Amino acid sequence: MTEMTTSAHSGVENSLHSGAGSGSLGNEAGSKALDAAHEASRENASRRQASSIQMRGLHKRFGKDTVALNGVDLDIEAGEFFTLLGPSGCGKTTMLRILAGLEEADDGRLTIGGKDVTEVPPHHRSVNTVFQSYALFPHLSVRENLAFGLKMRGMPQAQREQKVAEIAGFIHLGDLIDRRIDQLSGGQKQRIALARALVCEPDVLLLDEPLSALDAGLRSQLQVELLRVQKRLGMTFVFVTHDQDEAMVMSDRIAVLNGGNIQQVGAPRDVYERPANAFVARFMGHDNLYRITARQGGRLTTEIGELEVEEQEIEEGNQHATQGELVLIRPETLDLKPGRVEGVNHLPGRITERLYRGSHAEFRIEIGSVVLQATVNNRGRHLPEVGDEVTVVVAAEDLVTLSE
Amino acid sequence: MNKRNFKRGLKGFWWLTIVFLYLPLAVVMLFSFNAANSAAHFTGFSLRWYIKLFGNQEIISAIGNTLVLAIVSSVIALVIGCLIGYGMYRHRHRKLGWLIILIYLPIVLPDIVFGISEMAFFVQIHQLTGFLKPGLGTMIIAHVTFEIPFVALIVYSRFVGLDPSLFEAAKDLYATPFKRVMHFMLPTIKPALISAFFLSFTLSVDDFVISFFTSGPESATLPIYIWSAIKKGISPEINAIATLMIGGVALAAVMSLLLNRRRAT
Repeated sequence: MTEMTTSAHSGVENSLHSGAGSGSLGNEAGSKALDAAHEASRENASRRQASSIQMRGLHKRFGKDTVALNGVDLDIEAGEFFTLLGPSGCGKTTMLRILAGLEEADDGRLTIGGKDVTEVPPHHRSVNTVFQSYALFPHLSVRENLAFGLKMRGMPQAQREQKVAEIAGFIHLGDLIDRRIDQLSGGQKQRIALARALVCEPDVLLLDEPLSALDAGLRSQLQVELLRVQKRLGMTFVFVTHDQDEAMVMSDRIAVLNGGNIQQVGAPRDVYERPANAFVARFMGHDNLYRITARQGGRLTTEIGELEVEEQEIEEGNQHATQGELVLIRPETLDLKPGRVEGVNHLPGRITERLYRGSHAEFRIEIGSVVLQATVNNRGRHLPEVGDEVTVVVAAEDLVTLSE
Repeated sequence: MNKRNFKRGLKGFWWLTIVFLYLPLAVVMLFSFNAANSAAHFTGFSLRWYIKLFGNQEIISAIGNTLVLAIVSSVIALVIGCLIGYGMYRHRHRKLGWLIILIYLPIVLPDIVFGISEMAFFVQIHQLTGFLKPGLGTMIIAHVTFEIPFVALIVYSRFVGLDPSLFEAAKDLYATPFKRVMHFMLPTIKPALISAFFLSFTLSVDDFVISFFTSGPESATLPIYIWSAIKKGISPEINAIATLMIGGVALAAVMSLLLNRRRAT
């Protein structure tokens, strides 16, 4: 135990030394760039080694009954935009706080950039956080807020000012730099909180639902900006959200959490199109889950009718796929044909509700005693009306079987 | 009574309140400049009572005692109360209701009860150990004691008004515990500290009851001096002292206001 702590501490010292080293390099590059192109200096100053993250058996409980993390194993690659996705209370924020060092795991190890940081306090970790409430210091100006982390690490003032100017240019803060915090709008605060974390050039940047307090337009604008920043800096980003759309837009990979357990880790397409279980499917917005009552190879008897699924899907290493007791029909994969048409994976139904959304329309279709949601693109052709008899056609390769 | 009359009545009531609050003060201030030795007839403007006052060694030493007592006790109360206020904030999620009530108690306790108990306590200790002889020392202890809850509550409410993630942001941005205090906590609660200091100062200057019971023969403060002087009858000299005190307290209030406003703009 003692040995581990010592190694952790020397690890910190190393990282501090390397931090100072890269800082002075950045300064050199910056002063050269004053003569040369300014853009080039920014690139130089902000490029740094990204760090990978390993979590092994992380446990965390609050009080007697609340399990926040239940033995989590997770690997995040260097330079990845990684999202922790789940409903409130799923453990995603706890995981982020353990990464930041603001919370200590009861059990398990955490490694960042090859160094064990399980017991390293936050002020000795090269990790910075963008807080949900932004957490900008009210007694300081924007400029002083940006310089806070550098000042605490003892960077000389001249160098500090240069770094702050660089980041302000990079995030396009412009004339906000001399404002007081209470003179800023939500979106401006968000960008300053991001700049304040980035200017420290951490190995890992943590983002705790940073966009959740913003309105939709600003939100998508900042999503694009965040992506741009991450791609240019090549930094490892760990992003927490409960919004599956946001997770899919932003992430290289997503971990879906529930009840302190990881449900699935994968690229956005995997998680959306091949959910590992019913929880992930429902959380990603899928409602068309139907119970399988009997199966023969790829032939399924389900509560919605007879379906054929592709055999190859069964071999995809996903163990649940073979034994899954549910079949998922994604609403945007199906076709609607007017009237009654016979065929494999053809389901007869009647439209009970239609929501016209311009670019597409959403239908509720009764098939026997169950309901199916369908999304159909509005290609200018005839859209079925409420009460119409239709045949729902699904492709075998779009069907996914999964377990509860 | 119709609505308009009711409004007129409220307005009249407001002015009546102001009159009762400030007219006596105005009268005292006016008569402190009276040329004649009279509390009934104003015969002409004069500074003779002020000149007489500053020639009186007893009054000078009372002013000195009052200032030393107010400044020293406020500074000590500020440090201790600040720590208590932070402690209350840090542990606000624990079940510490009874501790908070302990902090509140001196505020609601009648001064006379507080003063008598302090006196009995100091006398006992003095008889047993020879320490804590009634005087400026015991008065400072007593004043610190009743100022602490005010400081603690002001500091506590400032901390409660802060976004809790600010504390985490400071940690996250590499601030060691010491730097967190110097660069985040103290600057952030500075307005509260200024208000708390001036409130303590004013309470101390204002206090008569507790001072009276804990003072010694050499440590009369202005309120104590006034009380003993007034037994011989109200003299214009007393009016002059009262005017000086009003001026001093008003100055402290304005200074605290200005210091806080400078930060806000």
